[in-house]
Amino acid sequence: MMPAMPRKLPGLLLAPNRMAATVLVSVAVLGGCVMRGGEESRIPPPPPGQAIGAVRPAPPVPVQPPPAPPEPPSTPAPRQFHLGGASRALVTQAHAQASSGDFGQASATIERALRIEPENPLLWIELGRMRLGAGDAEQADSMGHKALSLGTGDPAAQASAWRLIADSLQARGRNSQAADAARHAAGLAPR
Amino acid sequence: MHLKRLLLGVLAATVVLGALYVVYLDHLVTHQFEGRRWTLPAQVYAAPLELYAGLALTQPELERELQRLHYRRADRPEQPGTYRINGERLDVQLRPARFADETRDAALLSIATGAGGLQSLHDSAGREVAVLRLEPLLIGSIFPSHGEDRIVVTPDEVPPLLPAALKAVEDRKFDTHHGVDPVAMLRALWVNVRARQIEQGGSTLTQQLVRSYFLNSRQTLSRKLREAVMAIALDAHFTKADLMNAYINEIFLGQDGSRAIHGFGLASQFYFGKPLAELDLSEIALMVAIVRGPSYYDPRRHPDRVRLRRDLVLKVMADQGIISAPQASAAAQRPLGVTTRPAGAYYPAYLDFVRRTLRRDYRDEDLTKTGLRIFTSLEPRAQDEAERSLERELERLDRVHKHPGAHLEGAVVVTAPQSGDVIAIVGGRDVGYDGFDRALDARRSMGSLVKPFIYLTALESGHYNAATVVQDAPVDVKLVNGTHWRPENFTHQVYGPVPVVRALSESLNLATVGVGLSVGLSKVSQTLQRFGLPQPPAQVPAMLLGAVDLAPIDAAQLFNGLANGGFRSPLRAVRAVISQDGKTVKAFPLQVTQVAAPEVVYQIDRMLVHVMDHGTGRPARAVLPPNLEVAGKSGTSSDYRDSWFAGFSGSHLAVVWVGYDNDEPTGFTGSAGALPVWAHLMANLGTSSWQAPMPEGLAEVQIEYPTGLRVAPGCAEDIVAVAVPAGSELPAKPGCGFPVNQPAANDPVTTIIDSAQKWLHRLTH
Repeated sequence: MMPAMPRKLPGLLLAPNRMAATVLVSVAVLGGCVMRGGEESRIPPPPPGQAIGAVRPAPPVPVQPPPAPPEPPSTPAPRQFHLGGASRALVTQAHAQASSGDFGQASATIERALRIEPENPLLWIELGRMRLGAGDAEQADSMGHKALSLGTGDPAAQASAWRLIADSLQARGRNSQAADAARHAAGLAPR
Repeated sequence: MHLKRLLLGVLAATVVLGALYVVYLDHLVTHQFEGRRWTLPAQVYAAPLELYAGLALTQPELERELQRLHYRRADRPEQPGTYRINGERLDVQLRPARFADETRDAALLSIATGAGGLQSLHDSAGREVAVLRLEPLLIGSIFPSHGEDRIVVTPDEVPPLLPAALKAVEDRKFDTHHGVDPVAMLRALWVNVRARQIEQGGSTLTQQLVRSYFLNSRQTLSRKLREAVMAIALDAHFTKADLMNAYINEIFLGQDGSRAIHGFGLASQFYFGKPLAELDLSEIALMVAIVRGPSYYDPRRHPDRVRLRRDLVLKVMADQGIISAPQASAAAQRPLGVTTRPAGAYYPAYLDFVRRTLRRDYRDEDLTKTGLRIFTSLEPRAQDEAERSLERELERLDRVHKHPGAHLEGAVVVTAPQSGDVIAIVGGRDVGYDGFDRALDARRSMGSLVKPFIYLTALESGHYNAATVVQDAPVDVKLVNGTHWRPENFTHQVYGPVPVVRALSESLNLATVGVGLSVGLSKVSQTLQRFGLPQPPAQVPAMLLGAVDLAPIDAAQLFNGLANGGFRSPLRAVRAVISQDGKTVKAFPLQVTQVAAPEVVYQIDRMLVHVMDHGTGRPARAVLPPNLEVAGKSGTSSDYRDSWFAGFSGSHLAVVWVGYDNDEPTGFTGSAGALPVWAHLMANLGTSSWQAPMPEGLAEVQIEYPTGLRVAPGCAEDIVAVAVPAGSELPAKPGCGFPVNQPAANDPVTTIIDSAQKWLHRLTH
């Protein structure tokens, strides 16, 4: 068996022939790129710089499933989502609106933040919480799943996504499913 | 004797009838005018630009956004609507603004800009501001067909020079007369009699108001009489200030197609693109000049003629002592300052979509009369880029593919995939034409745009993945009517065994039909409907090659689900409807519904990335920024009638259709027609890469592109990385670093050093 190594080489291209193989090895180990006959053969290149303010997660996370023969599960390089400055201000504003019972306005304020950071799972969880507050448990559930998907590799974000899902199931009286979701949350990040 | 009594009787009857008529008119005037409500068309606004530290906007781009809102550069930004540039800093005096959720007073904002975008924002007290919106751009209004459009202003929104100028030019005794000015009327009558036609008005502002508000503009004697009576009645019942404000909001000031521009509030936007309160002396004089004849003195069509009258207005104002002579002559030196395009922004195709959204909930009357404010998702910058890309590329394509007597047409829809916000719609190459909206109404064959949904259905069945080898072989289906359906590949070749990733990237028809038939037409049809196809498609085999009619907006809905990781968000143009008094009448909150497993959608999306690098989307690479990761699919319907491209980045989805209105063949594929439009648009949107995280349960593997065999990196000529379910059994290329049929467990990149060592071993031994 090959040694299990976390994937660290984001961009890696292929050599055309064996003569180039030695070059490939050194370049590949450095994580560089090799052009082939003017054509780009590719593995996704490293993501270019994002619009600032849109908080980018740490490097893409390869989540590796355990192979068919049982092996200790590989631990994904963890990443952690944060809110950018603008989003933080808007979330604070939304919480104030929600605490005075205006979940409609609070949702609209979170949506402003989501336009700035559409792929931040924390904002989807916030929006789901507002929907739950407004009595729309079904949308809260959907937003929990959206956050779960975007939060791949961030156990803390995924745990709070599961808690949102659990609460939205509970709100609809689906208690056993809610308990399952809560267990998922606890498994990821004990409260 | 009899004659005398008869005459007296007639006289008495006339007096009584006349008195009754006057009472009637008086009642009409007071009653209608008292509770006067102008029909207020709904005003439609674009999305406001959010400013925050970190926004990727350079100083010139920021300045352009301000100029779009008709902010003026000034030495000292004291007036709302002005800004100053001081090195890297831009100080702007923001106008008071009304958003869907709040109102904001005028405010000074200092914005530090830099190479990486906005650095910081501070208010006038030097406090840091986390986030702040520019006011939303007014993009139109919903007025009745052939109807009046207006923006009503309150007296405090009117610059004091305007009523003064109106009085000086139109009605000098306005403050003292009783609704009519007999001397002026007689003078006008004398002039008209001498000229044997009606040349001079002599009407007071009150009479003009009556004419506009209650009567039509035909000038007969009886109508003049009626107008005079009503003006006297109005004057008796209302204050001069009330009448002046009514006049300012009522009077006709221009025509824009079927839209009549009423009131100075709208006219100021229509001619200068800014609020009435911000007009300077020369602009006010121009508006007063237009009052006398909005068509004759149309500043866009007759600039010289209106300029003479403007200067006359300035002179009269100086003669009356309203302004000084030097002020007048300085103002007369100014250019007219009229914007080239009416209202500065006009997006008929987008407004069309807004109207349709609202018609589901509102009667026409509500939209055209009750002064609603509609806040939309339109992003003017994206809209302008979409228009420009389509116009330019269609011109180029028309030159390349000469087609006598026909012009290529096209349509573009751009969305923000995560929210389903529709941020731009172009309905045809004549972007200002308010007619056939191809983005919404051109229902055309979707062609190969259907293929991702066929493979998605196949992946869901559990029998396929990106590396699965499928047969690209002749297909012969006997149809119910006894005929045979024998589709062909685009190249008329047969490719034999190919992996799914190649079949999709190169849009192979035979392979796709084979897969589609094996998973079942009904399953494919269900997938399309789950993703938002409005009507169930006819379940015939040709459906698998895209014999499904849809409009570009429908294609955008379908692909939005792919761009949004398997979540469907109803495409939305309207965010909120606000009543005249500022209450939220209706909100259209963001909604998501999961319609496919994120794992399956991720695998499809990864293959759509290969379309851009190995397949039919490849020509776009010459235009796109080199590091921009995008995914997409071309579509070509039979006989090249429709050229489609649908694709997305991390932050934008765009669908482009190109074809002839009469459904004639265009002679080019999706890659040749729609793709260049799409690529230029994406290249200029300032978009971010598609970089969804790979869901748990998937593994990335390297396969040989032509065969689908699993290989170690560097072990074959043409290798692609695909995502497959972890544990998938993939046949490996013999001697390529893997035992045959090793499950796709570890990422092969992790074995790079190991396999490289083996290689070296082989080379040296």
